[in-house]
Amino acid sequence: MSNLRDLLGGIVDDVDAICLFSPTGTYYESFADTELPVVVVSPENSVDAERYVELPLEFADIRDRIRFGLEGALGGGHIEEEHVVACATNVFEGGIDTVTRVNAGEFPRSGVYELFVESRADPSVIRDVFELAVELGKKGQKGKQVGALFVVGDAGKVMNKSRPLSYNPFEKSHVHVGDPIVNVMLKEFSRLDGAFVVSDSGKIVSAYRYLEPSAEGTDIPKGLGARHMAAAGITRETNAVCIVLSESDGLVRAFQGGELILELDPEEY
Amino acid sequence: MPHDSGASGYYTDLHRLFSDRLELFVGLVLFLFAFIAGVLTRRYVRRFLRGLDVPDAVEGTPFERTAQRLGTSTVGLLSNLCGLFVLVVGGLIALRLTNTLPQDVLTVQLTDLFRQLFIAVIVLIVGVITGDKTALYVSEQLKGVKVPEVGLLATLAKYSVFYIAALIALSQLGVATLPLVVLLAAYAFGVVFVGGLATKDLLAAGAAGVYLLLTEPYAIGDEVEMDGRRGIVQEVNTFVTRVETNGEEHVIPNDRVFRGGVVIVRE
Repeated sequence: MSNLRDLLGGIVDDVDAICLFSPTGTYYESFADTELPVVVVSPENSVDAERYVELPLEFADIRDRIRFGLEGALGGGHIEEEHVVACATNVFEGGIDTVTRVNAGEFPRSGVYELFVESRADPSVIRDVFELAVELGKKGQKGKQVGALFVVGDAGKVMNKSRPLSYNPFEKSHVHVGDPIVNVMLKEFSRLDGAFVVSDSGKIVSAYRYLEPSAEGTDIPKGLGARHMAAAGITRETNAVCIVLSESDGLVRAFQGGELILELDPEEY
Repeated sequence: MPHDSGASGYYTDLHRLFSDRLELFVGLVLFLFAFIAGVLTRRYVRRFLRGLDVPDAVEGTPFERTAQRLGTSTVGLLSNLCGLFVLVVGGLIALRLTNTLPQDVLTVQLTDLFRQLFIAVIVLIVGVITGDKTALYVSEQLKGVKVPEVGLLATLAKYSVFYIAALIALSQLGVATLPLVVLLAAYAFGVVFVGGLATKDLLAAGAAGVYLLLTEPYAIGDEVEMDGRRGIVQEVNTFVTRVETNGEEHVIPNDRVFRGGVVIVRE
């Protein structure tokens, strides 16, 4: 047994910080004596941690989760670029079961933390739209895949860079993403063409918008369709974030500043 | 008892004996009836409170926790109280019927006092639970506000409810509560007056905001000129309108929008 410990101890040797993902109270307490900085990354700061990064989505992909946690810890000044961090998280159901060793300065940055925290819209609004897109991707309509495009934040500018395809069903309504009624309207949503425009505070401003950004200079992976191109284009010209549900492969993608930031599979949530 | 009166004396004896027995019998039946009524009341009050989802509503309040620690619950306590009340009132009536208690003013007062005491206790329990619940609700609403002093508001709300409950309970018992009522009035006046004075701008903005949200004279994305600033509307909520021009976002209180009017630019 001691042999195994020696072998695996290398993972946590000389680390400069520890990242705990959604730890239980007792698990966090057991780290109280370490001199290393302990960063807690979880949806809610239930353990009253001093160094805390809020996790807006329970990323099913571990790499996304760790990326978010590390980028958040870096952004919050909890760890430094040159730190080596041990990340403890869970792969399967239940408590923490996995430890990985990451060099905070060297892993490829995806900007997933900035997507939530440094966009114009509230992080909770972006999370709600993500959940909406994931839900829509799971359900589809009558078993058929549907596509959708949500433009979140900077709504005034987005409205001026787009035109209506039809009457706006959300005119003079005050529906916010995250309202319970939105779940009921989900089915209707999948039928509407064009983009949804959501304001900074989460109000659904309009549906049926045809985005008219100049696609010049937008560079997105080949094979993605017109919807993604429009999303990338509008995020380049405004400070909005775009969340796209692809009709062809059913993935949810997020764009910011004209670049693809995050890719999620709705089936995993 | 004179012996020579014969049969009639015997009859009187029998009658008295019998009527004594009858009163005792009626008293016993009444007491039994009161007992059954008490048990039934207890059961139905319990069922009624459960039907109203009272156990869920009181969950997590300090009162419920104290009750749990004592091996009972709020619902159990309330139903037991109701049952006890019915039992005791029935018992008092039975005792009076059997002439065990003198039928004077004292017993009537005793019954009245007992009734008032019962209502006072119920009011107090409801008041304590409502107060705890209010404190929980207020602190829940203010959870996002990371100011330590905000906890004071919840405590204040809790003790205000406690105070009012105590006032009602005391007035039930016939205690002179006038000075306490005056104090309450002064407190309420202070809250309303000072609160109104402090939030008068917010109130004005909110009133204007309700109109703006209902009629929506301008929507997100419109180019407008308001309060001397021209730009694109980014957000309208109850209190403010956000207008953006060239990377500058102006947060304009809605009452100022209303007072100054809006120019909607249509090219």
